[in-house]
Amino acid sequence: MADEFIKGLGIFTASGLGWMVLAGWYRTPSFASEQQLVSPVELSDSATMFDTLGVMLMDALFWFTIIGALTFWVVIPAIRQAREALEERAQ
Amino acid sequence: MTDEESTTDDVRADGSGIVAPDDETPTWRERKERTQGLSQLTYEYFERSRREDQDLRQESDYVERDVLAFPTWPHEIIRNLAIASFFVGMLLFLSATLPPHIGDPANPSSTPAIILPDWYLYWSFGLLKLGPLNPELSILGGEKLMSDRMYGVLANVVVVGFIAIVPFLNKGSARRPVEQPLWSAIGVGGVIFALTISVYSAKNLLPMNVKLAFDLTFLLPIVGGFITWAVLKTMREGYMYDLNRRYYRLRPPK
Repeated sequence: MADEFIKGLGIFTASGLGWMVLAGWYRTPSFASEQQLVSPVELSDSATMFDTLGVMLMDALFWFTIIGALTFWVVIPAIRQAREALEERAQ
Repeated sequence: MTDEESTTDDVRADGSGIVAPDDETPTWRERKERTQGLSQLTYEYFERSRREDQDLRQESDYVERDVLAFPTWPHEIIRNLAIASFFVGMLLFLSATLPPHIGDPANPSSTPAIILPDWYLYWSFGLLKLGPLNPELSILGGEKLMSDRMYGVLANVVVVGFIAIVPFLNKGSARRPVEQPLWSAIGVGGVIFALTISVYSAKNLLPMNVKLAFDLTFLLPIVGGFITWAVLKTMREGYMYDLNRRYYRLRPPK
């Protein structure tokens, strides 16, 4: 259990950090604004392929943060519990 | 006269003199019988620590001391270096990737719309707004004994004074909150009060009824403290006070 927790926490913090940095680049017009990290993505005309990749990576990291943590904190323990319950019932 | 009795009086500096009395030391069998749930976890945790300590003592050429601790080098230094490296790395990473914009300079000729101290002083700022608690005394013909401002300043003195005398009221012999539920509850209540009074300090910005906020400021700490007290009281059952205390008296059983 503890292992699963730290795996989930590692994913949550590491990929969350990556998402925060990229969202700070592409979704934050100003650190004084009221819409930080969540304002619509703005890619200027001079955006390179790397900027496009960065936006894709940002979205990927966002969902990885949520789904990855939920997987280790909720889904895998739930599957194990269910399997144990099924085995107990079979006996 | 046994050996034990003859050696109880003189102080030995090699650390061997603080063994728990034999009749209080659990046998290996007693320890291993704790095979369930929290007591098993507690047992394994202390047993591992105790075992590490024993190995360290037996293998090392350190001079044994009365106080059980790990040597600064390498244990503490390595750990602290790892932690310090992590935070320095995080500072470098964040300052390289997310450099904050430098804001406009403050305009000294205009008063800002929102006046607040730094966030860690919100609690004190909130205590200055305790006017509703300042009683109008009928003996003074409905006058207040002191102005609301004075009352707020005195409230700061009271809170700081209470925090200052806590170490004299409670010497800190508990190792875990369960061991002293009442003091844990007081602590939790104090933390919640720090939060609620901080929120109340910005009452003109709160999107809620100010009187309700004022009541919640004092009710929430009491509720939180009571819940803490109740939960810890419940947890006392099954908590192994003796094992914990014995560990801090130190020494492996025979």
